[in-house]
Amino acid sequence: MTAEEQFNKVDEGEVITGRPFTVSRDTIQAFADASLDYNPLHFDDNYMKNKFGKTSFDGVIMHGMQNFALITRTLTDWLIPRGGFHRRLETRWLKPVQLGHTITPVVTLQSKKKTEKGYWLLFDVEVTNQDGMLVAMGNAMAEFIDVIPGKR
Amino acid sequence: MTILDLDNFETDFWKDVDKRATWDQIIPGELRDTTPVTLTKEVIARFAKGVGEDNPLYFDEEYAKTTIYGGIIAPPSIHILLMFACTTTEDWMRSPGTINAGQNWSYHVPIRPGDTITMRGTALDRFIRKDRLFAVHENSFTNQHGEIVCTGRGQTIRPA
Repeated sequence: MTAEEQFNKVDEGEVITGRPFTVSRDTIQAFADASLDYNPLHFDDNYMKNKFGKTSFDGVIMHGMQNFALITRTLTDWLIPRGGFHRRLETRWLKPVQLGHTITPVVTLQSKKKTEKGYWLLFDVEVTNQDGMLVAMGNAMAEFIDVIPGKR
Repeated sequence: MTILDLDNFETDFWKDVDKRATWDQIIPGELRDTTPVTLTKEVIARFAKGVGEDNPLYFDEEYAKTTIYGGIIAPPSIHILLMFACTTTEDWMRSPGTINAGQNWSYHVPIRPGDTITMRGTALDRFIRKDRLFAVHENSFTNQHGEIVCTGRGQTIRPA
């Protein structure tokens, strides 16, 4: 299938719900071992009793980039079988995510855009916690493309 | 060429803490000290598993060959690992209390097993807002062919 045909097969307004993710010390350890980010913010209960400027946290927090990786997975789980190529992700973290919290990314295909040489998908991203509160927002872009850049 | 060795990475982020630039010492535009790393198939598979990426595109060569990618690639989010893999224990991104405020990343050429990736990183800007110390970082990663893999901009709140 050509990029144009793949582009024509997806519809604006489609809502993609990611897999819910519950934070535990084990998930934090696994993410640290994968990302090599061993900041004490994610491990050290005593350290987290400190104030960080005006901010204080109620215990250790999940890595912000764990959220980024979960949003990426939500996008690529949907894109890869449709032949889409993940191009961009922008995120803003609104609330810290703590042990025991369950977060779920929801991505909406907000619009499709044909440019001179490209077939683009524009997504809105929201991540909510178990109480329905927004913990992260963002935007993403994907492209249908006939040849992946750099392919040999 | 340095093959990334995940098992001997320094996990104590307090080590060398006194050698790292604080917010006051960060000079916008100054390059961070980085080293290229080579990513094996095993490193890519381990990263994918660790972040919950279970698509076989990241570890199953037979499946990956049937996709538009033509072979195994790394998950796009692997720059999260490269940020620490390419920098030293004296890099300020390791400073305890560094709080991530948001990121945007743009992806071009996918990383494939055996690729050697070079990082170029700076703090392009720094500012104070609502009594917090911010750094704005810009990073780009290239492969051994000189192709751009991905570029990213992020903001962190620096420990006071």
